[in-house]
Amino acid sequence: MMESCTLTTHVMNSVDGVPAARVALSLHRLEPPLMVWSLLSLGTTDEDGRCSGLAAREELGPGTYKLRFETGSYWESRGQTSLHPYVEVVFSISDHHQRIHLPLLMTRFSYSIYTGS
Amino acid sequence: MAELQAKHGITAMAGSASPLTTHVLNTATGVPGANMTLSLHRQDPLTSAWSLITTGITNADGRCPGLITTQMFTSGVYRLHFDTAQYWQSMEETCFYPYVEIVFTINDPGKKHHVPLLLSRFSYSTYRGS
Repeated sequence: MMESCTLTTHVMNSVDGVPAARVALSLHRLEPPLMVWSLLSLGTTDEDGRCSGLAAREELGPGTYKLRFETGSYWESRGQTSLHPYVEVVFSISDHHQRIHLPLLMTRFSYSIYTGS
Repeated sequence: MAELQAKHGITAMAGSASPLTTHVLNTATGVPGANMTLSLHRQDPLTSAWSLITTGITNADGRCPGLITTQMFTSGVYRLHFDTAQYWQSMEETCFYPYVEIVFTINDPGKKHHVPLLLSRFSYSTYRGS
């Protein structure tokens, strides 16, 4: 039986040095053969900027996925503008992945993504 | 001329300086990200559809001059697409990110905008540069 991969994220507001709470996000998978994105799940970061359970009801098997963060809305809710209206990260899950942790660090004018543990 | 460029997604060419520039840096090896293909798109404010403006490839310094002309660089939402997996593949390495797309809003097209991409196989970052 194929083991599915778990996916977690953590959004940090690097300007204020705090977790970015209540950031809406969505997980999508690229579906062959038409290569269209299908929405798998929606989530919102908690007070600690974390969102787990993105893959709770889904099997994250090998494939191409997209995690979209509504960062523009986050800055807007703080009465601020931002350079990036949203952040979309497209990544590949392969057979050997068991756990993927994809943190996002952001300011109003920058962001960085890395995959860590 | 501006419409032609918009319709046919003309390849980036050197000419008078583009108000929008990029710079790809390979943070894993500490060198410019050379020979990476990329494209610039703009989103139609009414339909939200994306249209291709330019395609290009980074030079030995990781830069791609001639992304857009001053005339064409109007306020709006733009997207820079970088073929990151292809880039790593050409060096016989895999990349966690098949491609990177950076979407950004331009409210002040009169100013120069610099959108760098710092990239390794497992991480990337971008910021508003100058």
